[in-house]
Amino acid sequence: MLRVQEISVTLGNFMLKNITLHVKGGEYMVLLGPTGTGKTVLLETIVGMHAVESGKIFIHGKDATRLPPEKRNLGVVYQDYALFPHLTVRKNIAFGLRLRGNTREETTRKVEEMADFLDIGQILERRTVNLSGGEGQRVALARALVLKPYVLLLDEPLSALDRTSRDRLRRELKRIHKEMGITILHITHDLTEAFFLASHLAVMKDGRILQQGSPGAVLRAPKNRTVAELLGVENLIKAEAAGERGFLTSLGPLDMEGAFPGKPEYAADVYLTIPGWCVEVVPQRETKQYAWMGKMRVEGTNFLDGLMELELTHTGGERLRTSLSRREISLLDIPLEIGAQLPVGLLKEGIYWVPRFNS
Amino acid sequence: MKNFKPVIWGLSTVVLLMVVIPLIRMVLAADPGVLRATVADPEVIQSIFLTLRSALWATIFCAIFGIPLAYALARWELPFKSVVQGIIDLPVMIPHTAAGIALLMVYGQRFFMGKAFSSLGISFVGTEAGISLAMAFVSLPFLVNAARDGFLSIDPRLERVARTLGASPWKAFFKVSLPLAWRAILSGGIMMWARGISEFGAVIVLAYHPMTAPVLIWERFEAYGLKYARPVAVFLILLCLGIFALLRGIAARKREA
Repeated sequence: MLRVQEISVTLGNFMLKNITLHVKGGEYMVLLGPTGTGKTVLLETIVGMHAVESGKIFIHGKDATRLPPEKRNLGVVYQDYALFPHLTVRKNIAFGLRLRGNTREETTRKVEEMADFLDIGQILERRTVNLSGGEGQRVALARALVLKPYVLLLDEPLSALDRTSRDRLRRELKRIHKEMGITILHITHDLTEAFFLASHLAVMKDGRILQQGSPGAVLRAPKNRTVAELLGVENLIKAEAAGERGFLTSLGPLDMEGAFPGKPEYAADVYLTIPGWCVEVVPQRETKQYAWMGKMRVEGTNFLDGLMELELTHTGGERLRTSLSRREISLLDIPLEIGAQLPVGLLKEGIYWVPRFNS
Repeated sequence: MKNFKPVIWGLSTVVLLMVVIPLIRMVLAADPGVLRATVADPEVIQSIFLTLRSALWATIFCAIFGIPLAYALARWELPFKSVVQGIIDLPVMIPHTAAGIALLMVYGQRFFMGKAFSSLGISFVGTEAGISLAMAFVSLPFLVNAARDGFLSIDPRLERVARTLGASPWKAFFKVSLPLAWRAILSGGIMMWARGISEFGAVIVLAYHPMTAPVLIWERFEAYGLKYARPVAVFLILLCLGIFALLRGIAARKREA
């Protein structure tokens, strides 16, 4: 549906380098990256606001690289909605319909259908300056969706909302995608948003796309340290591949038979990515499921989003983080105070390695 | 810091009084009888209408050519933007009599441009067109700068969204940018018109006759003295105040709507 092929863009002292991105019809692609990484420039380039230096953009199978924005049939929703302040909600939604030659009756019908679908029927005659954040974003969505764009492009659509509206609209986006079957490219720096919504994930930093794939695959096997960090993998520890058997770390040997290919083109110096859920406090599974078992000291505890985050240290100096739910804490039946020594196991199934040289 | 507010207010009052006292003094000193005679004086009426009309033409002319320039200055990366901006502001800096002389040298009969216009039947020396030209030259910055600020205050993404919704650059300009900048443009237009009405220096060089109100005031002052110049001045001031209060009111109401 949308194919971006090796495009490069320079805008002032900002550059996009050789970006390739393929969003298939019906896909919900999330482009994840930190602020200031060029996500918005990429989006505006796809829309046709910035000229490309090289590369091509295909929309719906046609070369759209040189098409003006009004001929591309893409919908855009910005973080701060960008509603027309001089028009009512109804006229905002009708804006594109009238330009595309719909009659007055057709326009009214389509606007009201879309307003019903997004539950904003009761605010159609309001002025846009008086809307709440959630309402504003629904109007912006309605204005774009009512034109049935080939691809809906969302630029941090939830970032300006308060938490309650954000949670509601996140579910709403999922529903829109499912019920309308529309192709979506959503850019964000928010991990929760990315993993909640994405059917496909692309990770971007400093004007480059670092990795693409299904969210599960990217999370399971980040390509390098940067990707792992952007994906919020809690623990990255230095390790050395010990042939076929596993890895050597400051924790001691990690038993990971067959995890490392041992081919000569791979350097033996690696980082191990250990997601928090793989750091199990009081291991209770079969021993062979753990790559490592031992004692660790509780260094700190924090409460975050209803979870308790534990900071653990090993006598070798290595630090690991993990989070426990209230239910897990109540099942543990041991005090989680600072200074306590806990038995800890590292689950084999979630640990992955990335080479150190391109990190 | 206790006396912060009183000091700020005290200083502000000085400026306001500096403007208001002379105006009030002049209005109060006017002899009602002479003022009534002045209002009935056809020469005065004619010159005031001439002034209002030529300033309006100057404003309309500059709106047509100046609004696009203001938009370009607000939106586009131009290689010599600061130079262009400087050129726009130039008429405010130079003495207006000098501006009048410069205009005379270009639009007078001795230069090819003046000759060209003359062959089309348009003369700028001693005509209403000349008065408008002089007014336009000196008051252009008010309109262009206000319109530029108006466009600058609009989020450029509104235009981008309009484009993605199917608007051509023209449609985006007329349906989004212009309506949103309209108030700033209107208030700049009012300022330009007002500045045009009060212009004396450039006008008198290019066209002593037909006489605009400021020239008439000057002429009566020179020929008959203060007593006869004052009623014309008072009449002009009152008329202008009335019109501007009205237009400002309209502009302000649009803001609230």
